[in-house]
Order: sequence, then C-alpha cells, then structure tokens
Amino acid sequence: MSGVAIAKTASDDGRSVFDRFFVPLISLGVPLLIWEFLARSGAINDFLFPPPSAIFASIWSKSGLQFETGVLYSHVYSSMYRLLAGLALATVLGTLIGILIGMTQWGRFLFKPLLSLFMPVPTLAWTPILLLLMGVDNKTTIFIVFIAASFEIILNVIAGIENMNVKVFWVARSMGASRLQIFFKVIIPGILPYLITGVKLGSGYAWRALIAAEMLAASSFGLGFMIYEASEFMDMTTIYAGLIMIAALGFFIENILMGALEERTVGKWGVQVER
Amino acid sequence: MLSNIDQKTWDGFFKLLQLGRFLLPIVALLIVWELAVRGGWIAANVFPSPSMIFSRAVELIFSTGPEQGMLFAHIGASLYRAVAAFILSVLIAIPLGFLLGLVPAVYRWVSPVLSVMLPMPAVAWTPILLVAFGQGDKTIITVCFLGAFFPVLYSTIQGVRSVSKQSVWVVQSMGGSRRHILLNVLLPACLSALISGLKLGMAHSWRTLVAAEMLAAMSAGLGYMIFAARAYMDVSTMFVGIALLALIGMAIEYGIFGVLESRTIRKWHGTSKIGGKK
Repeated sequence: MSGVAIAKTASDDGRSVFDRFFVPLISLGVPLLIWEFLARSGAINDFLFPPPSAIFASIWSKSGLQFETGVLYSHVYSSMYRLLAGLALATVLGTLIGILIGMTQWGRFLFKPLLSLFMPVPTLAWTPILLLLMGVDNKTTIFIVFIAASFEIILNVIAGIENMNVKVFWVARSMGASRLQIFFKVIIPGILPYLITGVKLGSGYAWRALIAAEMLAASSFGLGFMIYEASEFMDMTTIYAGLIMIAALGFFIENILMGALEERTVGKWGVQVER
Repeated sequence: MLSNIDQKTWDGFFKLLQLGRFLLPIVALLIVWELAVRGGWIAANVFPSPSMIFSRAVELIFSTGPEQGMLFAHIGASLYRAVAAFILSVLIAIPLGFLLGLVPAVYRWVSPVLSVMLPMPAVAWTPILLVAFGQGDKTIITVCFLGAFFPVLYSTIQGVRSVSKQSVWVVQSMGGSRRHILLNVLLPACLSALISGLKLGMAHSWRTLVAAEMLAAMSAGLGYMIFAARAYMDVSTMFVGIALLALIGMAIEYGIFGVLESRTIRKWHGTSKIGGKK
C-alpha cells in the first residue's frame, strides 16, 4: 500500500487548449488509427486484435441505444453498485476505526496489531473463502471492495488526526461541547481532506480488486464477469469492449467522481484546519 | 545511574513488553476464534479453527505421502512468476521512466496514453492473454508484469523530474559528460524514488499474482492451491495459503527492500523515511 499523501489539486489553468484537448486526442487517436489500418490490411491477426471500429461498434450495439439488446448497462450498473456499496461501507467503518486508533488508547492497542496482521494479505486471496461463506453473490464482491478500500481510508484518517491541532479540541471542550458535537463538528471536518484522499486512493484499489473479484465470483453481471465469460467463448471484440469500458469507468471514478467529491467538500467549504 | 549493560537489558525488556502488548490482540482473536469453533458457534467445516489450520500447515510441510513437497512446489512456482515479472518490468520501466522524465516532449505526448492505462486493473488483461497464450506461466507473468510496470514507471518519472535543474547545470558547466550527469547526478538524486518504485512494483507483482494464478494457473502456485482447495471444501489449506502469501509478501518487503533501503538511502542521505511524509 502506498504512503499517505494529500493529492495536490493540479492547476491545469496554465496549460493551453491545445495541450488539454489536441495532445490527448492525437496521442490516443493515432495508435488506434494505425491499429485499425493494420488489422484491416491483415498485417496483424484480426482475431487477436480486432479493429477498433469493430470494438466500438460492439460497445454501441451492446449499449442498447440502438436495439433492445443492451446488456452493457446491466454490467456497468452491477459493477458500479458493488463498488459504491463497498466503498460506502469502507468509508463508514474505516473512518470509525481510524478515529478510534487515532484518538483512543484502547483503539490503538486493539486495532493496530490487527491492522498489521491483515494488511499484508493480498485482497483477492480472500475471494475463495468468501465464496464458501457467502456464495456466488453480490455480498462476496462487495466485501472484497470493502477490504480493498478500507486500509487506505484508515491510514489516511489516522494521519489526519495526527496532523490536527490539539488546541482545537481544547477550545471545543472548554466551550462545553459534548462528545457527539466534538465528533461531528471538530473531528470530521478536521480530517475531511485526509478522508477524501483516503477514499480516492481506496476507490482506485477497490476498482482493481472488484474487476478481478467479478472474474472469480460474479454470477451473471459485472464488467469483470463480462470479459471473463467472453474469454471462454473466445469473443475478443467483447473482451476489448469490456476493457475499454473498464478503463473509461476507472478514469471516470478517479478523475470525475472523486474530483467532484473533492470539489464539493474540501474545495467548496474551504476546510482549513489550524495545524 | 544504570550501567551500559543494565541499560541494554532494560531496553530489551521494554521491547519484549511492547511486543507482548502488540501480540496480545492477535492472540486474543485467535483464542476467541478457536473457542468459537470448539464451542460449535462456527461450523468447523466452513471455518476451521486456528489449531486445525496450524496442524494442516504442519501436515503440508512435513508430509511424506503423495503431497510430499507439494507446498514448496507451489511456493516456488509463485515466487518464480512474481520475480520474473518484476525483473521484466524493472528492465523496461526504468529506462522508459528516464526517457519520459528527461524529455518533456515525449512526456507530453505519451502521458495521455499512460493516464488511460494507469487505472486499468492488470488482472483485466487476463481474458485477452488467456485467449492469446492459454493458461500457464506466460499469461500469469504477463499479468504480473503489467501490475508491476506502472508503479515502477511512475516512481522513476517522478524521481527524475524532481531532480533540480541547477545540479545538472552545474555539472554541465563544469564540463561533465552525459554519462557523468546520468551516473553521478541523476541516479543518486532519484535513488530513493527508484527504490520506493521497486518496492511498490514487487508488492504489486505479488498482489496481482494471486488473482492471476486463480484465473490462469494450470497446476502450481499458491493462488492455484487456494482456488483448487475450494473445490474440495478444504478451508484449512486455503487459510494456510493466505497466511503464506502474507508472510512471503512481508518477508520480501521488509527482508529484501528494507535492507536495500537501509544499505543505500539511510546511509547516503541520512534520512530514515522513503516515500513518506517530507
């Protein structure tokens, strides 16, 4: 697991329109065009490397915008549902455990050793055991997402608490704030930038783990399931279509969803904790 | 006043006390788990007790029957795949990282491709590789290679880009050749980033391995062992596999890379933390 760091909000304003739109367009588009040309002309095996136009056509026909055969929506919906459910669970429990470790003696005593016991286990190694316990079900994949995301959240929450100023607590306490008030009005806003970073990093790990878990444990839907099933039928176009969806959704989660979350909370409120 | 030796024994005693404090919750968890299984609250065939798992581990290690040496064959296969993938990724990612870090034009045109590839889970490539290569080492090593490649590449790029221009200019103006700049300026300056990249790369290779082996291994590997044990409801073996995965991962991280860090960076730069807070 990587270290704890607050992601800097990149200031893209300095970059020109050319850099932001045309450079990605060309650097992604030109290889695709070359691929298309090679596959069409037969220079590369078009079974293993079907031309991009065929792949995008397959995404289009699966999307259900054209015909009533859209299964892609269900796959995307299942994957996103599992990701968000697991992430929500990890955020709530991870924040609580992180706060207990950061704030209380017994929390540190109890959870820190357990944390270092479970952290080195590769997340996906739990899949077979979860399969036995819960069966081929949404629960298994959601639990994998939960495991994958929670460590990063816990570590970031601990770092957030360690970086808080004790004086803030003194002020709140001397003004007669109750424990609940301190929790919601002091601790949560204080650790928020760190918590968001944790959720952001955790969602990256969770997305990776989810796709793999769906290959191993999903019953009928999910992008991971879709590409694994397609590999059994040697349906290369569907695999590539799934890969493109996975990459696009991964990009969407990391940059747009989590970016919006960051903007709505840390950016908007301008949370500035006195350090 | 305590004498030097007394101080040492006192320190040792204190460390032992801390270790005991650290292990207490883990031991408590194991005892509760054991009692819960013995008491019949948890079905032993679905969730075996720690003692059953331990005796299964002993059985697997010292067995003389048909299972003799099987465990070590699994471990060997897994280590071979993870290390081969790691070495391959280092050999490609570090030179590429230097290129991308040193030449801004290349970075500008390649970074969109990287930012699309980076959030791709390495395991997602497995279906394509399964169709192309079939099951076996080739597929598994390629998946682990993809898992290890990007962390190493990114650390290298960041390390190279963070080297201050001034130090390069100084050596240049003193008449240093390109080789001098590379070996005597850039390499030492970004060494900590390189090593933390290697550490991350190996960790990712090891973590990706499990999933890849579950999906694509034919006969050996710890991931295969765990997944195959599921077919026989042999949960004890599954837990032995999970514990081994964690132990070997930790041994690699602290045993090999921890020593590497202390040998190089702590010695040269005098800092004790790598990749942590500044």
